[in-house]
Amino acid sequence: MKTLFSFIKKEFTEQVRSGKLWLLFIIFILFGIMNPAIAKLTPWLLETLSDSLAESGMTVTSVTVTALDSWVQFFKNIPMGLIVFIILESSIFTKEYASGTLLLSLTKGLERYKVVVSKAFVLSALWTVYYVICFGITYLYSAYFWDNSVAQNLVFSVVIRWLFGMFVISLTVLFSVVFKTNTSVLAAVGGCVAVSYLAGFLPKIKSFVPTYLTDGNSLIYGLSESGNYTVSLIITLLLTVACVCISIPLFNKKQL
Amino acid sequence: MLRITDLYKSFGNVRVLDGLDLHVPEHSIFGFIGKNGSGKTTTMKTVLGLLKADSGTVEVAGEKVVYGNSPTNRHVGYLPDVPEFYSFMTAPEYLRFCGEITGMTNTDIKKRSGELLELVGLSGERHRIGGFSRGMKQRLGIAQALINSPRLLICDEPTSALDPVGRKEILDILTSAREKTTVIFSTHILSDVERICTDVAFLKDGKAELQGNISDVKSRYGIDEYSIETDCGDTVRALLERFPAMTHIRGKLSFRESDVCVFDVLAYISEKRLPTAKIERCEPTLESLFMEAESK
Repeated sequence: MKTLFSFIKKEFTEQVRSGKLWLLFIIFILFGIMNPAIAKLTPWLLETLSDSLAESGMTVTSVTVTALDSWVQFFKNIPMGLIVFIILESSIFTKEYASGTLLLSLTKGLERYKVVVSKAFVLSALWTVYYVICFGITYLYSAYFWDNSVAQNLVFSVVIRWLFGMFVISLTVLFSVVFKTNTSVLAAVGGCVAVSYLAGFLPKIKSFVPTYLTDGNSLIYGLSESGNYTVSLIITLLLTVACVCISIPLFNKKQL
Repeated sequence: MLRITDLYKSFGNVRVLDGLDLHVPEHSIFGFIGKNGSGKTTTMKTVLGLLKADSGTVEVAGEKVVYGNSPTNRHVGYLPDVPEFYSFMTAPEYLRFCGEITGMTNTDIKKRSGELLELVGLSGERHRIGGFSRGMKQRLGIAQALINSPRLLICDEPTSALDPVGRKEILDILTSAREKTTVIFSTHILSDVERICTDVAFLKDGKAELQGNISDVKSRYGIDEYSIETDCGDTVRALLERFPAMTHIRGKLSFRESDVCVFDVLAYISEKRLPTAKIERCEPTLESLFMEAESK
């Protein structure tokens, strides 16, 4: 257990000293502030633009902003945050392959599964913390300016979006074990998400694919019930666990 | 300490190890010599469980090495030719990390890392490893390899890219490590081997040739060579005429006993009363043995 903690500690130290932690911290704080800010500024923006819009024949009527607008922004911005997170973290394994830093650790008797578990844990923990920060800022500002209770199934919609992020992280871990360059890792993860997204267009399997969990807006507007997401949630959860579990024997066989 | 039996390893169609047999005695400094691409690194990586052999067995301290997660690595310290560390750490932090992943206690880590940093001359170093020179990285490499007091230290060409001062420092550290550790040291710098090794093996065509204690190897495989020094041009001419197998470089004649009988030469010099400054038997060097083995 001590060796596992030691490797996890090393991963966190690297995140801090490489500056990635602070960069992502700032990005997710900015997203958290932007969500209610954009909602709050929408009436003012429309008013400012009303004259030019009127010239083109469009009439701007008074807009009533609620917490729902802030949460719509949250569900728009969080995929951007996830993409930035994955791009920055996709080298978590491949950088070690390229530099050869893992060799010394492994020749000291460090069990290979601990490398996979540590890196998966660190990515999951960081994603969770950044996500909670972004959610927390959005929640507090939305509660201050408006009333969060208008958003239905808020906690559930936020949790399933977080789970989708965990699924993408597990794909990153799996492909990092398979491939040697982070370009290949990113391409494979992007490919899987794209396949899931495209499969979502087929009505028969729409509610089974992981990307179905990204449909937070329908939930907060009450257009969809949480029960509709059960199958997709279970499948995503199983796929996430499976990806990490498969990564371990693959990494055990990997030639470094 | 290390026993390799009938080891085979190929990469595609290229057979790198072809039935390698190797025995490294405990508390020896074992020089593992071979040309570039002769399979030294492949052998070492197989011993570390980082490469899977096609067939054959490798035993460290009587335990069989397993590919992937080899438990034998708890006995082993490894210094690659170009050691790569986490550049964001300092030397003491890196040694602490190494100590922790080998399962040492905090007290032991503190004591041992202090001793080792002192030994490798990095005790006052507080900068991050990213700013270290090649020599400093190599010295830190030895410190990390010795952190858990391994029974076997494997060094893959540790001096190949160092300047003479750096080389001497590394060789001195390896010599001092011998008291508690068996050292395997791959290189193609034969003078380094002559200087510190007790045992040697030449790797050629995937097999170990001329293996054993250095003095035994020299006496067993060395070919007696003699040299004759003279300032007299007539002596040189007469000897070259009588013994064409002799070679002549800058007033020095030399010959192998296998080519020219030394007693015939002495008798001829005596008979013709040829003036000579010195006649001596030359000890075989590793270089001459290596060249001999390579030319076979």
